[in-house]
Amino acid sequence: MEDLAIQATKSLVSGLLMGLVFALVALGLTVIFGVMDIVNFAHGEFLMVGMYTTLLTSPLLGIDPVLTLPIAGLVGALLGVMCYFGLIRFLIKGPMIAQLFGTFGLMIFLRNLALLFMGSEPRVIHQGWLVGKSFIVGPGVVLESTKLAVAVLSLVSFAVVWWLINRTKVGRALTATSLDAEGARYMGISTEKMNALAWAVGGASVGIAGGLLVNFWPVEPGVGLLFTMIAFATVALGGFGSVRGALVAGILIGIIVNIPPVWDSMMRLVDVTGLDIHSFKYTMVYAIYFLIMVLRPQGLFGWKQ
Amino acid sequence: MEAIKNAFNFSDLPKTELALASAVLVFLLGFPAMPHSSFGMATMIQFLAFSLYGMGWNLIGGYGGQVDLGKAQYVGIGAYTTAVMMIRWNVPFWFSLPLGMAFAVGWSFIIGYPLFRLKGHYFAIATIATSLVLKDLFEVWNFVGGARGLELPIKGDFPNWLYLQFREDYYYYYILLGMFLIGLIYVNGFRHSRLGYQLRAIKDNESVARSLGIDVHWSKIKAYATATAFVAAVGSFHACYNYNIEPEDVMSLDLSVLIAMMAMLGGAGSIWGPIIGAAILVPMKNYLGSWLGGQAGFAGMDLALYGLIIMVIAAAQPRGVYGIVEAVRARRR
Repeated sequence: MEDLAIQATKSLVSGLLMGLVFALVALGLTVIFGVMDIVNFAHGEFLMVGMYTTLLTSPLLGIDPVLTLPIAGLVGALLGVMCYFGLIRFLIKGPMIAQLFGTFGLMIFLRNLALLFMGSEPRVIHQGWLVGKSFIVGPGVVLESTKLAVAVLSLVSFAVVWWLINRTKVGRALTATSLDAEGARYMGISTEKMNALAWAVGGASVGIAGGLLVNFWPVEPGVGLLFTMIAFATVALGGFGSVRGALVAGILIGIIVNIPPVWDSMMRLVDVTGLDIHSFKYTMVYAIYFLIMVLRPQGLFGWKQ
Repeated sequence: MEAIKNAFNFSDLPKTELALASAVLVFLLGFPAMPHSSFGMATMIQFLAFSLYGMGWNLIGGYGGQVDLGKAQYVGIGAYTTAVMMIRWNVPFWFSLPLGMAFAVGWSFIIGYPLFRLKGHYFAIATIATSLVLKDLFEVWNFVGGARGLELPIKGDFPNWLYLQFREDYYYYYILLGMFLIGLIYVNGFRHSRLGYQLRAIKDNESVARSLGIDVHWSKIKAYATATAFVAAVGSFHACYNYNIEPEDVMSLDLSVLIAMMAMLGGAGSIWGPIIGAAILVPMKNYLGSWLGGQAGFAGMDLALYGLIIMVIAAAQPRGVYGIVEAVRARRR
């Protein structure tokens, strides 16, 4: 019984930390969706670019991976703006299906460009302030410093984006654009600039998320899809376009996929039928997405549909 | 009776279009007799398969306007039904084909019911989610070989019509061409059918369609299930043709999106759309792959280029190649 309690605390803590990263990944998607009603299939590939950026710049500049986060954010923002002006601007005029394929083409493009330049083998960061250190908080509960730092920085990023959207003039213009683009245009807001800004913010946050994630997650060109799907599920759970929702939903999903005791008992349950579950936890994410969509299509904090 | 007459009635299409289609048909029938490489043959078989996938997708995605990105799960259901039945119980292809289609249609009703309460992006992503759940399930399910997939046994005495095993590819080609023609005739009938008109009404304006007394939800589910039958049939064929199936291969998101993309690229909602799309994308993908993918140090270059081309097409002509044809025709009038 005591074992179970320790196990539960442990998974709750690691789920919470992981969830904050999921939330940060989903943040970019939800900002873009909220402003432009466009789903970005290449979102996970943006994350991958952020991961590679930190992986490459840190040894190149001889600084710790954590210090390269601004660079990762900058690269992400730049990528977002480039994608907006090079592709998305043309896609918004078309039907929804063209938007889906446009961003899907972008996903194939970025993933294979990474394959071309970086090769297919997974890479990890071997050294840094954070790698390999951990704190023992309670009996059996170990906090890895990488994950802790990631969680804290993720919260900071959230605070910045929240402040940007809710407390600045530009943020109000952004919200106005998301509520009614036509009306915003009449009020003298350049919706073109606002869309580009949404992509910059979205790209920056996912770039930073990538820079954080690479501290404990191996990076390879195909890493994006899993995170794209997690981000979709998170955004669906939290409500499309809701920043607060992304934070709560990200944590929820992080906790759900990190409950080993529950999974253990479920594994035993399913084992009878000959199923072998080990990487099954992310399947749960898709199932959650489906259930949430059917039961509450607007998500926890959503108001659009 | 009326339905059968409709299916063979192509007279409402423009004359030039019919002439062109006949020419293409003659080419398709005669292709194996022409000099070709085995690579060319494989590409042609893939073209036919993707045309059929696209035709199926077109029923719900083109005529109904519902962007379905989960078609690969039905390819998988068809392929796995055939493979499992052949391996475990020695069931010939021609018996497992209708069963696979039936399983797929049954599954499509089960998930179609909640799915079609959603609209737009929400629907599109939910179809992806269902497909990925099924794929993950198959990857851990030992009965169907898990992530390693299944290998079909070789039955011997070629040509084996019952189990669809041949030495020469042109047998496969003609069987698939037969399915292709049946599919084409079915889609033609669908265009004139009650359900076809209902779906187009739904696509134009859902609330108006509802006010006219169309059961929108049920119509969508019916069209979705029909589309599924197409896809599952080709899935069954794929298992026999490839001798080897694995979840990553027959149920991946890439396949789902590729199916939808072919139809979209050609022109969603037109009878030729999926065929044109497959005729452009399949050879392009294959030849880019063999040209660039084979060279050392260029891994990924072919697909990067391919992604770039998709981006350009989506941005430049969102209504597909058939959209260009229609634009030209409209200008001429």
